[in-house]
Formats: sequence, C-alpha cells, structure tokens
Amino acid sequence: MRTVRDARIALRRARARETLRSGYRWFDERTGAADLLHKGLYEAVPRRGGWAYTLGSATLALILLQLFSGIFLLLDYVPSVEEAWPSLNYLETQDPFGSWVRGLHLWGAYTLILVIGLHALRTFLSASYKRPRELNWVTGSLLFFLVLGLAITGAMLPWDQASYWTTVVVTNILHYFPFIGDGLRQLWRGGSFVGPITLTRTFAIHIWVLPFLLFTFIGAHLYLLRRHGEFGAWVNYDTTSDDPDKEIAHRIRTVEPPYPTKRIERRYAAPNQTDQFFPNQIFKDMLVSVALIALIFVMGRAAGAPLDPAADPATLTYVPTPEWFYLPLDQFLVLTPGNPLIAVGIFAIVGIGALAFMLLPFLDRSTERRPIRRPEILIPALFVVFAVVFLAMLGVNRLYSL
Amino acid sequence: MTANPLAQTAVGGTLLSNGLLVAIVALVHIQIATYITGSCTIAWVSEAISIARGGDERHDRLATSIVRSWAYIFAFGSAIGIFFVMLVLLGFWGKFFVALQQITFGAFFFESIAFLVEVALIYTLYANWERLRRYRRARLGMLILLNIDLFWQMFFIDVVASFMLTPNGGDANLLDQFLNPSNIPLTIHRTIGNVAWAGAVLAFAGAFQYLRASRGLEPAAAPARAGAPVRSVGAMDADEAPAEPPEVRETRHWDWVGQWGAIWVVGLTTLQPWVGYSYAKEVQLHAYPAWYDMMFGDLSNVFLFQLTLLGTIFTVGTAYFWRRMKASGATHHRRQGVIAILLAVVTLFAAQPAWFAWTYADVVAQGLARPWWQGGLLNPIGNFIPYKVGALFALVFLGLASVTSYMRAYSRDEMKPGRVGRRNQGLLLALGVVVSTMMIVMGVIREHSRQPFLISGELTIQHQQTLNNQPSQLGGTAR
Amino acid sequence: MVLGTGVGAGLVGVLLSIPALGFLLSPLFIKNREYWVTVGPIDSIPVDTPTPLYAFVPSEQGWPTPSQPRVVYIVKQADGQTLALSNICTHMQCDVHWDQALTQFLCPCHGGLYDILGNNIGGPPPQPLSQWVHRITYKAGTGEHILEIQNKLEENI
Repeated sequence: MRTVRDARIALRRARARETLRSGYRWFDERTGAADLLHKGLYEAVPRRGGWAYTLGSATLALILLQLFSGIFLLLDYVPSVEEAWPSLNYLETQDPFGSWVRGLHLWGAYTLILVIGLHALRTFLSASYKRPRELNWVTGSLLFFLVLGLAITGAMLPWDQASYWTTVVVTNILHYFPFIGDGLRQLWRGGSFVGPITLTRTFAIHIWVLPFLLFTFIGAHLYLLRRHGEFGAWVNYDTTSDDPDKEIAHRIRTVEPPYPTKRIERRYAAPNQTDQFFPNQIFKDMLVSVALIALIFVMGRAAGAPLDPAADPATLTYVPTPEWFYLPLDQFLVLTPGNPLIAVGIFAIVGIGALAFMLLPFLDRSTERRPIRRPEILIPALFVVFAVVFLAMLGVNRLYSL
Repeated sequence: MTANPLAQTAVGGTLLSNGLLVAIVALVHIQIATYITGSCTIAWVSEAISIARGGDERHDRLATSIVRSWAYIFAFGSAIGIFFVMLVLLGFWGKFFVALQQITFGAFFFESIAFLVEVALIYTLYANWERLRRYRRARLGMLILLNIDLFWQMFFIDVVASFMLTPNGGDANLLDQFLNPSNIPLTIHRTIGNVAWAGAVLAFAGAFQYLRASRGLEPAAAPARAGAPVRSVGAMDADEAPAEPPEVRETRHWDWVGQWGAIWVVGLTTLQPWVGYSYAKEVQLHAYPAWYDMMFGDLSNVFLFQLTLLGTIFTVGTAYFWRRMKASGATHHRRQGVIAILLAVVTLFAAQPAWFAWTYADVVAQGLARPWWQGGLLNPIGNFIPYKVGALFALVFLGLASVTSYMRAYSRDEMKPGRVGRRNQGLLLALGVVVSTMMIVMGVIREHSRQPFLISGELTIQHQQTLNNQPSQLGGTAR
Repeated sequence: MVLGTGVGAGLVGVLLSIPALGFLLSPLFIKNREYWVTVGPIDSIPVDTPTPLYAFVPSEQGWPTPSQPRVVYIVKQADGQTLALSNICTHMQCDVHWDQALTQFLCPCHGGLYDILGNNIGGPPPQPLSQWVHRITYKAGTGEHILEIQNKLEENI
C-alpha cells in the first residue's frame, strides 16, 4: 500500500469480492478473476471525445468477426488448384447461408481496412504516439501491414479469374526486388509460373502465419495500451484555472490508474476528467462495433461476395483489377515504367513511406500534441493522405475508361 | 463529305462576337460560382475552429462576412447563369444546346435540383445567421450541407463540361456520361481550385480592406500583447482584446483575413500541378487533337503563360509569407525567402518554351526516342518535356515547404499581427489578380482547344450538328 | 549455466531450422519439370497476323495437377520467320492480347503496348514479350509444320 490511492483501490476491490456469491467466490479463489475483471473494467479513460476512441475496439471486433467468418469458410474450402473454385462454388450456391458467409468475410475485410485506417488517422491527429507510447504506434503499424497482407492473400485463395490474376501480379512484384527478386518469386510460386504450390503456400500464410503474427502483435498492442492508459487527445489535458501547475499537480495526485506513467511530460501525464471504462466507454465501443457488424451483415447479405468464372490462364479478354485498397499502389505501377524505376517506385518509395509511417514517433519527437502546432508533420501527412485518395480515384477513373 | 445545304452559322453577328459573349458571360459566372463554393468550405472550417475554441472573434467575423457576401453575389451570379442559359445558349447556340440537352439531360436535371437546394440553403442561412448565433452547431451543419450540395452541383455541371471534351463515344448511358474519362480528374481539379480561388478572394479583400482601414495609421504602432496566456494558436476572444482603438482592430482583422486567404491559396495550389497533370493525361488519351493543340499546337504559348501564372502564384504567395515573417521577426524568415527565390527560379525554368517541334514522330526523327537516362527525351511520367516535369515536381514540394514553414512560424506565435505594413498588401492584391487571370486563361484554353468541335468528334461549331444535318447520335460515324 | 542454456537452445534452433528452412526454400533448388507440348499445325496462319493458339502445359513443381492452358501467339513474318510469343506482359505478367484496331499488343492492366514483333513500345513494360522456347518440326507425311513449345520462356520476365 504505497499511497492513499492504492489503499482506496484495494478496499474497493475487497468490497467487490465480498459481495460475490459463493459459486463465484469459489471460482475467484482459484483464478483471481475478480481482481482481473475489476482492473480491466474499472480503469480510467479520458472523458471527452469517447466516440473517437471507439475505433480501436471496433478494429478488434472486426478482426474477431473475420476469424469467426473465416472458420466457416474453412469448413468447405479446399486449397487445391482443382478443387478451390468448385468447393467455393458449392458453398456459394448450394450451402444454406453460404453466400452470406462469404459476403460477411469480404465486407468484414473491407470494413476492417477502412476502420483501421480511420483508427490510425485518429491516433495520428491526437498525437497518441508520443513518449511513452511509441511502441504502441509501432505495433499498430505492423498490425496495419499484417491486415493488408491478410487481405491480399485472402483474395488469392478462391482461384477464380480475379484471384488467379491477383496471384500472378502480386507474386510478380517480388521479382523486381534487387538481386534476390527472382528467387523470392520462385519461392512463393513454386516454379516460374503460378501453380499448385503457390496456392497451398498462400493458404498457409493466410490462415496460420499472418493470423499468428496478428494475434501476437494485438496482444502486445493491448498490453501497452493498458500499461500507459488511453491517451485521448490534447483536449483532455487543457487547464482551466489560473494556476496550471497547481491544477496539473492535483490531477496527478488524484487520478485513477493507470495514469500517471513515470517520466512523462507533466502536462500530459493525467487527463483532466476521467470516466470508468465500464460502463461508459464500453457502451460507446459496443454501440459502434455492433453498428459496424450489423452493416457488414446487411452488406454481406445484400451484395455478397463475387465469384468470377474459374481461373483461366489463357484468357485474352479478362482485365485484372486490384481491390480498391490496392488501387493507390497500382497507380504507382502505372506511373513507374522501366526496370530500374519499377524497383525504385515500388520498393524504394513505398518502402520508405512504410518505414516513415512505422517510425513516425521517432521522427516527431517533440512533446507538442496539438496538430496545429506541428505543421511540419501534419502538412506532409495530409499530403500523403491526399495522394493515396487521389491515386485511388485515378485508378477508378482509369478502370472505367479502359 | 458533301456540303450540307441546311448548314447555318450561328445566328446574328460573327462567330467571334458570339464566342466572345459566351466567353464573358461564362467566365463571370464561373468566377462567382467558384467563389461561392470555395468560400462555403472556408466558412465552415472557420466556424468549426470557432466552435472548437469555444468562440473565436476573428473566425466568427469571417464566417459571418462570408455568409453575408453571398446574398448579392449569389443573386447576381445566378442571374448571369440563367441569362447565359436562356438567352445566350438557347438563343445563339440553340441547335447545339438542344442536342446537348438530349444527350446529357440527366446531368442537367440533377444539377438543377442541386441548384434549388442551394437557393433554399443560402437564403435560409443568410436570413437566420444572427438568429442562430447561439446554435453554432446548427450553423456548422447547414454550412456543411450547403457545401455538399454545392459539390454535387459542380459535379453535375462537370459531367457536361467534361463530356463535351471527352465523350465516351459508343453507348453513352447515364453512368457512362457521369464517368466519362475526364470527369473525375476535372471534378477533383475544380473542387480544389474552388477553395483556392475563394482563398485568393479573401486575400485580395483582406489586403484591400486593410489598405482602406489603415489610411493614416502607423503600421507597427501597437505592440503585440505580451503576457496574455495564449490558449490556442491564433485564438482571440472578445474579452481578451486589449484596449486598442477600433481602427487598429480593423486593420488587424483584415491583416489576418489576408494571410488566412493566402494560406488557402498556396496550400491548395500545391496540389494542382499533380491533379492538373492527370486531367491533361485523360485529355491526351481521349481527345488527342485538343491535347495536341494545347501542348504543341496553336495554344501551346498560352499554356506556357498559364504555367508561368501557376509559378507566380507560388512565388508571390511565398514572398508575402516571407515579408510577413520578416516584419514580425520570425526566426526562420530567411528560409522562407530562400523558398521564394527557388520558386521564382523554378517558374522561369517551367516557362521555357519548347525548343523544337514536339510530336512523337519528331522525337523519333531526331533520334531521341530513348529514355532520358540514355540521352533521349522519353521519361516515365508520360514522355513529357523533361524540364517541365521536374519543374512541376519542384513546385509541389517547394509549395509544401513554403506553407509548412509559414505555419510553423505562425503556430509558434512568432507572427505579430498588423506588422506587415501597407506596401506588402500589394502582394496579396497581385495574388488575387493572378489567380483570377489563371482561371480566365484556363477557360480560354479549354474552349479553344476543343475547336472546331463543341462535343469532341461529334458536334462542330460551324454547323452545330453533324454534317448530315442529323442530331448527333453518339456512336454514329458521320463526321 | 547461462552459457550452457544458450548453447543448448541455439543448438535446438539450428537443428530445427535445417529441415524447416530446407523445406521452405526447396522451390529454389528443385528443378522445374520440363516438357515439350504440341501446340498444333501453323501452316494456315496468315502472315503478319498474330494468331492465338493454346497449349496445355503441366505443372513444373509439386504433385500432378491438370494441365493449364497457355496462349501462344504465332506471328509469321514476311521473311519466313515465325515467332511463338507468349502473351505474358513483361510488366506485371497480366494477359496481353492483340488489338486489331490499334495493330498492337495491349495489356489491359496498365496500358502496356507492344508492336507486332513483341517489342515494348508504350506504357510501363520494361522488356519485349518473350517467346516460348519452341521448335517447329516438319511432318513429311502430312506436309504440316507442327509447333511445339516447352513450358519455359526464352527470356526471364
């Protein structure tokens, strides 16, 4: 019991335990669940702006939805060049609710990418990546790349026309990597051309390798979040009195855990007003997640997932089209012809961009959190967002005008 | 191609005088409509900033003056638009307009619905602006609704404008028209340009009013407020304002309006080289004669002038930022000066005329059909003239650097209001004039490049129909 | 003690990784199976008219799977030379087709263009279209020239 605050918390937990009925008490004695639950549920979160903070939990909910709908697909799908399309066609046309399940998985993926992008944007604007939360941003950006990887490997599984040609193009990108490119392509494809080994390797990547990495990093991401507490945004750290130092000191003394973390800039150590995670923030989180999942259920039913005709490597009329979230990268391919430039365009520019994205907390080390006061970060970031959206729109335009 | 016995030229006067009438009316209409659309965006941004800060006098006043300015300007602009359609188009270009309506009726229909909504919203806002002063969020919501409506109105008229330049040919159903090749790039280009032009108008108005309000006043008389706690960057509460004479407060306000407009202009124009390039690319792919005219043909010198104007916007804007930073004693004002000089150099670079004829056949004939790193003239970004590509890249990055550098100084409270002085307002006035000229020149280029067609490859000016006197059936081969 | 644990763990790691890495990297070392596949007679194909013929090519690695169809564009030139072009774009390996209106090979992915001989003349592709490794045998009995291709391209694209 180091401080009065700790004593107060322990007392509250003890009281909570006493009120448990005997069955639960049996369970709690053996697992320590009550303490864990109490710590998890009654943590403090900043009060203002709660709706913006629901995006993170919405991302998690959507990932779990993908896991859930993926299992049902797994019950029918066979990762073989001969049987992949027939098995999915069977699922689509003969299985009850089969097309709905496929639709769930597809629209879940689209919504997940949208929400994870919005979540990244929100944490960027609120500067929640600054000390001591840098690793949170790094793990988060790795999660973003993993989700994109999952999306593209998933698209390569149905072995219909779209999926086959996506496989051809995506595995071909590797061969532009300097020196080892041809080897990388051969590795993934299992030969010079796309074949049966390509499909089984892609399948393994999609259902095991990437999800394993995904959940590892999700665990790290959530642990770090809990350790330092939800930052919120700069509006949660405004001072209203005439003596800001005194106000901040008072806040630091009285705020609920996990705030304040040590060796952090004093001003941003503790938010001015906090709520309990349960029920206030959880309610908002749940509302947004349920709304998104309901949307996915509706879209999955209404629009479903397309299934092109079976893969035909000898087609002369098919137009391979990237998924919407890869349109900006595809425009890079349009704009960078010629051998050295493709390597530069794809790997150098995109690689440097991805690295800058991941290492943003180390590029922007100032303690300033308000976006307007860090224009040297905000303006280039807005330009990049504009560039991505603009390239996507050009991609749509080009596709339609072919 | 037999002569068409029923062919007629445009009614009344020469082609030139009718063309001129259309040009003048259309250009006035465009400048007004563009201002309204762009200033709506600036208005709701100012309103949002004011709400976020719990009341900001300058942003409030700006939003109010923008909304108030709409009443007369919008009425006049609509009158011009209606006059344009009813009397000029229907009257002098009747056959063309009827043919156009038959093809793009859907677009006109949706555009007119958007216009009705616009009328309702603008006048409602104008009449109730003061009444809603305690319901800020309602104001913000209505402004955003208006902006959405204005966007759609522009989108539908862009469908018509882009269709005239790059019709899809063949089976042009509604969706094909809406997604004709140059529509999306044109819409993006105009959406950004709208706000940039509104910023230029604000810059001009700010400078003009500053000069009026500061007649007889010393520029740097009132010192900056020292010791006042600044809650957020640039915020200014009514009760925090020191005891300054009202004339000084007036000059401070207009000084701030001018630079706020300048930020919008320079910031958004930074995106335009890239967006404009993609628009020109679509024109090249789908209306090659028009593109050729613009880049290599009769209009190429005009286009070169246009590029010079673009560079001038950046240079003048950055020069203004530099003078401002210098007058306030900002730490990095020299950096801003360097950026301004670099922009001037890049502008000169981009404005170099072509040195010799530039069709692809000419390039091959000169033995230069090789990538530029092998000594030839082809380069990956569409075989453009190499130094122009470089100049465009440089303009974009220097423009970004200019705005970032200025915003940095501004956000660190290094800018002292009202210090920039009367002489430097001339830069803002020039900015407004240059942007306006650029819009006019662009209109001239666009309309002339398409000649002799009204709808590329389908309808000519001379006959306002295809040569066999049939209304144009898209997909028909009669030329 | 610490050192011993480290060495032991390292040893386990190395031992595990030998088969694992070996297996993962096997496509680099296993030789691709090569076949000659008959495409068909090419006598009736007109000069300067790229004509697509189809070849059914078995898989190069892994277990037996049904043969995949591949396109062979036969281009007979005036001087008697015959090209057996693949329709694999050298940019991203999309499906290229001969566009009669443009009299060029067009790749729909990013607008790559090739002339009748397969040289890359427009758009992003960095190399000309590669021919299949092929041979033309003359069958005296029927008087036909039969084209055969290997499941291998002449150039690395």
